[in-house]
Amino acid sequence: MNSFQLALRVLRTDGRTRVSAILIAVGVAVATALVLLLVSLPGATETRADRSAWQQYGEPSEDGASLELVASEDVAPDGREIQRVDVAALADPSRIDLPPGIDSLPGPGEALLSPELADAVDHTPGSQLGERFGANAGVLGDDALAYPEQLVALVGHAPEDMPSTAMPQDGFSPAGRGADPMLGLLAGVGVVVLTVPSMALVASSARLIAARRERRLAAFRLAGATPRQVIGMVTAETAIAAAGGALLGWAVSPLLRQAATTVPWDGGTWQASDFVLGAVPTVAIVVVVPLLVVLAAALGLRRVLSAPLGAAGGHTPKPLRWWRLVPLPVSGVLFAYLATTASSQVEATLLLVSMAMVIGSLTLAGPWITAAIGGLFVRRWRRPSALLAGRRLRDDPRGAYRATAGVVLAVFTGSMALTVLPSIEGQAGALREYTDGVLYVNADHGSLQRIAADTNDALARYGQDERAVTIGDAFLGDENALARVVDCDAAEQLLVVDMRGACEGAPGVYTPYPDVSRDELTVSAEFGQPGTSLPAAVPVRPMTTTGELAPEAIVDPAVLPADFTPNTGTVAVTSTPANVDVVRTALVSAAGGLPVQSRQARLDGQVSQLDDLQRVTVIGLLAASVLGGCSAAIAAAGSVLDRRRTFGALMAAGTPVRVLARALRAEAALPALVATVGAGVAGTLVGIGLFTMVDDGAKVLTPWLAAPVVLGIGVALIASSVCTPALRRVQAEPLADE
Amino acid sequence: MPTRPALSGHGLSKRYGTQYALSGVDIDITPGEAMAIVGPSGSGKSTLLHVLAGILPVDDGEVTLGGTRIDSLGETKRSELRRTEFGFVFQSGMLVGELSAEENAALPMLLAGAGRKEAMAEARRWLEHLGLTGKERNRPGELSGGQAQRVAIARALAHRPSVIFADEPTGALDTRTGGETMTALLDAAAGSGAAVVVVTHDRDLAASVPRTVSLRDGRIDADTRAGAVVPA
Repeated sequence: MNSFQLALRVLRTDGRTRVSAILIAVGVAVATALVLLLVSLPGATETRADRSAWQQYGEPSEDGASLELVASEDVAPDGREIQRVDVAALADPSRIDLPPGIDSLPGPGEALLSPELADAVDHTPGSQLGERFGANAGVLGDDALAYPEQLVALVGHAPEDMPSTAMPQDGFSPAGRGADPMLGLLAGVGVVVLTVPSMALVASSARLIAARRERRLAAFRLAGATPRQVIGMVTAETAIAAAGGALLGWAVSPLLRQAATTVPWDGGTWQASDFVLGAVPTVAIVVVVPLLVVLAAALGLRRVLSAPLGAAGGHTPKPLRWWRLVPLPVSGVLFAYLATTASSQVEATLLLVSMAMVIGSLTLAGPWITAAIGGLFVRRWRRPSALLAGRRLRDDPRGAYRATAGVVLAVFTGSMALTVLPSIEGQAGALREYTDGVLYVNADHGSLQRIAADTNDALARYGQDERAVTIGDAFLGDENALARVVDCDAAEQLLVVDMRGACEGAPGVYTPYPDVSRDELTVSAEFGQPGTSLPAAVPVRPMTTTGELAPEAIVDPAVLPADFTPNTGTVAVTSTPANVDVVRTALVSAAGGLPVQSRQARLDGQVSQLDDLQRVTVIGLLAASVLGGCSAAIAAAGSVLDRRRTFGALMAAGTPVRVLARALRAEAALPALVATVGAGVAGTLVGIGLFTMVDDGAKVLTPWLAAPVVLGIGVALIASSVCTPALRRVQAEPLADE
Repeated sequence: MPTRPALSGHGLSKRYGTQYALSGVDIDITPGEAMAIVGPSGSGKSTLLHVLAGILPVDDGEVTLGGTRIDSLGETKRSELRRTEFGFVFQSGMLVGELSAEENAALPMLLAGAGRKEAMAEARRWLEHLGLTGKERNRPGELSGGQAQRVAIARALAHRPSVIFADEPTGALDTRTGGETMTALLDAAAGSGAAVVVVTHDRDLAASVPRTVSLRDGRIDADTRAGAVVPA
């Protein structure tokens, strides 16, 4: 009988080995399915990017351009981003290659809308949305959209109506920007953060039969089996379970992919076909994951191979050495130091290294802390549950900690992310040039007046009181200080400046820098170009800035030389929350494809990205916690079954199941709690350190920070939930059975 | 005047499937009495012990303790009874590996709600009584087989039960250690006034017990008391 046949026979005849094999298979299946999904993420973002490549600028083509294009972002009344592409055919439209999902190029005054945008237009007054695009000439297919619910408008124009900033191209851009590096990074982190708990699940499952298998293998060794033969048996036993699990994982991976399509990223959900993974990486993952499990099982046999009789239990174990604690404060201090001082690329790299050291030192310190807590319980116990839990933790702190090691990594990473992300979110939109509620379009001088006039016509048509104002760009003095050419009252209303009552006097130049020399005051339309001197009589008055991107000076147009014309500028309109969509429609329809911007839109964009990261973090944490909880639960069940005869005897002697279960629940839950809370605290501290390096601003501590602790409690509850059923199972067995 | 039995079983029958492990067994154990149940493998020795101790329910017959029927009690009540009135010694001690000798001996009292000081003091007293002074803090793995069994005896006696059930208590020990352990068990039980029911397949060991009940095919084959054979 060879090793494989022996393994099959054991699986057929031993129920507990069968349960363990099934759990190993489940662990491997989960790991395989997760890795298959995570590895497909970069490709999925690339597929998305390729599908929506036409929505971006392509390569400029001065000669032989077939179309002109402006790509911009707009905002729908509900705050969602609209991807807008304004296009004008320069050649026969029938000769222009159209991207998949676009049947024909819209003519001037026409637009093709994505289904979701068409629906929004149908259900919104035209002045708030529909009139931004022109006549609806058709619908964009799914193949033209990054994600199914994307809001996209392909708006047609005559070439002469296109802004000068339009890009002449030879057709639409055929290729996207490649994979999203952020999601690629997250996928890499996810592979580690989710695979570790999956492997912990496998290890816990193997532990279910550890004692029994050790005895069986020891019997084989005593009967003369060589180490190679013993390894063969275990390898075969594990390989059957692991291979089955890998195939199961591969089989269920489409379901996981289907679930992943519902998780929004970068604005929307996914198409099922996005998560396609090639045959070679798929086969590689399905082969490598179980191979690692088999390798781990073979390495775990060292004890049986070196001591065929097995290690005797019930000895006072040697305490863990204190040096395990040393790396944690050392790496913590190093991290804190680098976080507050790092300024160069090398130091930033060292910071990441020190962060890895913090994680590594947690792995070293975790068992010591677990043992210390066990020791505390042993010294202070009042109830047998505390004594049993304390002894178990003190005797096998590595084992107790190992079951939750996967959760530790996930909770550490999650806490760090949940600390950093809201703090960054708190900074979002902080850089501003215009006051809240102002919508603006940057344009060249030739378009400024036309855009302002068309906007004002539309605003009047819509019955709005607001009017567009043009603001020119200029550069003052030898230092080329950025100045905005606008009258004093409009400046105070539109820009983040405080004119400090200076608008009462005659028109002049306003600046926060009191040492500006009036004698050398020149103004230029181009940065670095020689300027025209302003008359000496022009008053220079003080103002203060109230935003980070405020101009360095305001120049009233009345004081400029008659022949001075700014080359570029801005059309700006104020709005209120009640009419912002109508004002936006007026400005967008006049801007001819130039992007209409606002502080709120920028803020929404930043917040949306951070929401994506936060959502992915919480999903990852949840998945890792469920996996960690399952592995801790299986470990708890294993520890009950390991001591089944003792517990059976105690129950036979009248110890109620609930009393023993209470003790075992404490034993199972404590390490999980200690590990998750500890990792959560460490992750938060590291997160604060990381954020300090980026910004000295206030750290935003949100309720989300409690998520790892809540999940830790969840893990502990899952872990302890199996104690009573496991004891009932032991109770139901004949007392002498083993 | 005859002594009222501490524990009685009348008409006890127990089936596993269609196979009778016990068939109409009648047995009385008086307070402080020591009794060995012997018989070949499969004769129903352990089943009788488990039925008398309320671990297994009977299919027929009744078990009474101090005149009160216990076979009809629910599992919770029977557990409480086993915890307070009975003590148990099993073949290989079945001690909790993580706990020291004194903690193992104190465990049933602690689980029953006794205070730490009181339970540990009682456990230490019994360990000393059983010759384990100096071994109180040793783990089971640091004790010999005989010492571990004596810890199990201390555990069984520490809460002062009225009956001690011992299932092959010397099965894992050599003859000499087994004899010493049996003597320790009987002496300790006699000192506490508890009755002892010992299941063993070792006829020599059974000879050291004042009363021997012999089982065969689930029925009492012989009941020997201090040299006299009582007809079954």
